[in-house]
Amino acid sequence: MVEDSRPSWENPMQFVLACVSYAVGLGNVWRFPYLCQMHGGGGFLIPYLIMLVVEGLPLFYLELAIGQHMRQGSIGAWSAINPYMGGVGIASVVVSIFLTIYYNVINAWAFWYLFHSFQGTLPWAECPLSSNLTTYVPECEKSSSTDYFWYRETLNISSSIEDHGGIQMGQALCLVLSWMVVYLCVLRGTEATGKVVYFTATFPYLVMIIYLIRGVTLHGALNGLKYMFTPKLSDLADPKAWIDAATQILFSLGLGCGSLIAFASYNHHNNNFEKQAIVVSLINSATSIFASLVTFSIYGFKATFNYESCLDRTQLLLINTFDLTEDSIKPDNLDDWISHLNASFPDKFATISSQIEGCDLESELDTAVEGTGLAFIVYSEAIKNMGLSQLWSVLYFSMLLMLGIGSMLGNVAAIITPLRDSAFLTRHFRKETLIGMMCLFCCLVGLSFTTRSGNYWFTIFNDYAATFSLLFIVLIEIITICYVYGLKKFEKDIELMIGHRPHWYWKITWSVVSPVLIIGLFIFYTADYIMGGTPTYQAWDSNLGKTVTKEYPPYAQAVIGLLLVTSMICVPLVALITFIKKKKEQAKESKIITTAT
Amino acid sequence: MVTYETDGQDAYKVRLSIKTALGANAYEWNESEQFLFRATLAFAMRKYTGQETFNVSSVIVCDETPRVSFWFVVTNPNNTATLIPKNAVEEAVRLSRNRINSAFLLSDKTLQFLGIPPTLAPPSQPSLPVWLIVFGVVMGIVTTGILALIIIGFIQRKKKEKTIEDEDEEEKQERIMENGISCETLEGKDGVNNGAYSHDEDRLTQL
Repeated sequence: MVEDSRPSWENPMQFVLACVSYAVGLGNVWRFPYLCQMHGGGGFLIPYLIMLVVEGLPLFYLELAIGQHMRQGSIGAWSAINPYMGGVGIASVVVSIFLTIYYNVINAWAFWYLFHSFQGTLPWAECPLSSNLTTYVPECEKSSSTDYFWYRETLNISSSIEDHGGIQMGQALCLVLSWMVVYLCVLRGTEATGKVVYFTATFPYLVMIIYLIRGVTLHGALNGLKYMFTPKLSDLADPKAWIDAATQILFSLGLGCGSLIAFASYNHHNNNFEKQAIVVSLINSATSIFASLVTFSIYGFKATFNYESCLDRTQLLLINTFDLTEDSIKPDNLDDWISHLNASFPDKFATISSQIEGCDLESELDTAVEGTGLAFIVYSEAIKNMGLSQLWSVLYFSMLLMLGIGSMLGNVAAIITPLRDSAFLTRHFRKETLIGMMCLFCCLVGLSFTTRSGNYWFTIFNDYAATFSLLFIVLIEIITICYVYGLKKFEKDIELMIGHRPHWYWKITWSVVSPVLIIGLFIFYTADYIMGGTPTYQAWDSNLGKTVTKEYPPYAQAVIGLLLVTSMICVPLVALITFIKKKKEQAKESKIITTAT
Repeated sequence: MVTYETDGQDAYKVRLSIKTALGANAYEWNESEQFLFRATLAFAMRKYTGQETFNVSSVIVCDETPRVSFWFVVTNPNNTATLIPKNAVEEAVRLSRNRINSAFLLSDKTLQFLGIPPTLAPPSQPSLPVWLIVFGVVMGIVTTGILALIIIGFIQRKKKEKTIEDEDEEEKQERIMENGISCETLEGKDGVNNGAYSHDEDRLTQL
């Protein structure tokens, strides 16, 4: 009996934790706080929660239902739902392959920073000295020690995407280690990762709680929290806020990759996934909000620190130029002094007026950063100014690692489960070998992200590999279930599993609300891409010590196009092939009938 | 009496940030502290040149400000009309910088000689970078884990195969006894003709 021989989770808790570990990832920490900041602080919660209820929850529920009912990975599940729609499963696997290849590079960086935290002074706390030992390295002085450590010592980044450079040994070693850790967790099969997810799902929360306690007690943290929680409701009138909310919910829950289907396929037939879907989605959103609390207290601390350093520098400049006593200028009378000195000694003041930077706390708080910039530059800058910075650094990067590995387990499951469903492959290869070969392949391809231009290619994958394609896949999924497979049939399947039909709310959102929303997103992003002109990227200029905007060369744009097309084309391609196959079979059958009579 | 101009060729400006460095323990800058400075500088010149003729009077200070900054020059002890050239003073200060700083409980940042860059302390470089050591430890643990899991899986599979083989053996044994009747006895006979079920005579209905 196929049902009995399929492996399963040891208990439902492992399934829930696996989903939480997969959904709660780096995006909760580095994307959501950024969106909050860009779209009016606390006010962003309104579109976010609305989108969660109207779009995120129903789609999450849908994918779990499919996985648990079909008891196969995404390829088998979609082929069983409708032979013409098998391409959806294949598209999911293709996107998951792209995702696994580039996502593990982030874990490699987290390992690198983690290993470098075991030093007396953190290496990104100070600039290295130039060869004559009198000044600091110019690139470091122009930017900052944290920027320098990230761009030069970690990535050794080249000045443009065309300049490939060689593979960086440190990065490559960390990437190999990351893949070995992933292999260690999954080599006994996805269902056996149930033990690992107890740790990867809970450890980040422990660190976040510790960071929250430390964060709110930091000097200046309240500035950041006040900034976050004063809602600027006028920002909600901007449609971009709603679009970003809808997109963030979709990607944050990890829909469309096939991971949820894979996890749910190991459930018992009568597992109550409805409750679990609601629980996991709510935990995911609550974690995003919790992470923003931590991030904004850190922002507040960093902004206040920079603001006060700016004030100190201006004060020093004034007392040095005008030879005033040391404690004559205080932050509160700084402006008075400036105007007084400007009036009394205009000539002398003119010589230094170019060096006087206007110190403004608001503008420090306004610098919104997301992604790797937030995680590896902004946070490490804040950490180096905290007491006991090595401890905080180790905690933080371990947390990043757990978040990243938890998500990786889901991505890898999305690929491995369909592979192990294939009878051909299971007959010829043991599961350890199959999983090992997949990890080896992804690791080797991933080494290209450890070259000097690797971070630019990483950005391409991050921005294009799993964004547009996932929207397309989720749209096709929901239309297939509602209109091709049939909502009535789906309802009956769910009733068989959990004993009652889904509430009318779910049915409305599945059949009308979510498809309309996703089509809207789709149209918006297509229009945005077409009207945006040549896509550009931020390249690091070592002479200026900051990033400059450059256009992607044609072959990079071709790669972008390839990423988008290879996954989306599976759907129509498989439909076409199935159609041709069916036609051939029909022709053969009619031939047999005619020859028999 | 030597006169010189500040910004002159051989003069250096010195700036002290005592309050920044020492906070509540800051001392007052007065004539005696100035005396100490001139003495320390004379010491630096003595050390650099090896001539023990330099004295506190060789160092001339002027233009003191409340910032606590001032200019100084060093006169040649053999000929008080001439000044020691700038390079020599610079080298002397660099040589004894640490001693000068310590005399005032200050550091390179808080006792500045404008124009003489401080020699920054090079960071200590251990023979093997620390990160590689941690990396090696973690890599070792992970490799051991992978090998252990693979071997356990291998052993479990062997055990399963063995139990399947044993089960097959038992099944074969049982098959020989079917329904309590030994197959050998069944194979021997062609079966027993049960007369109750054969109606050869009645196959054709009677007219």
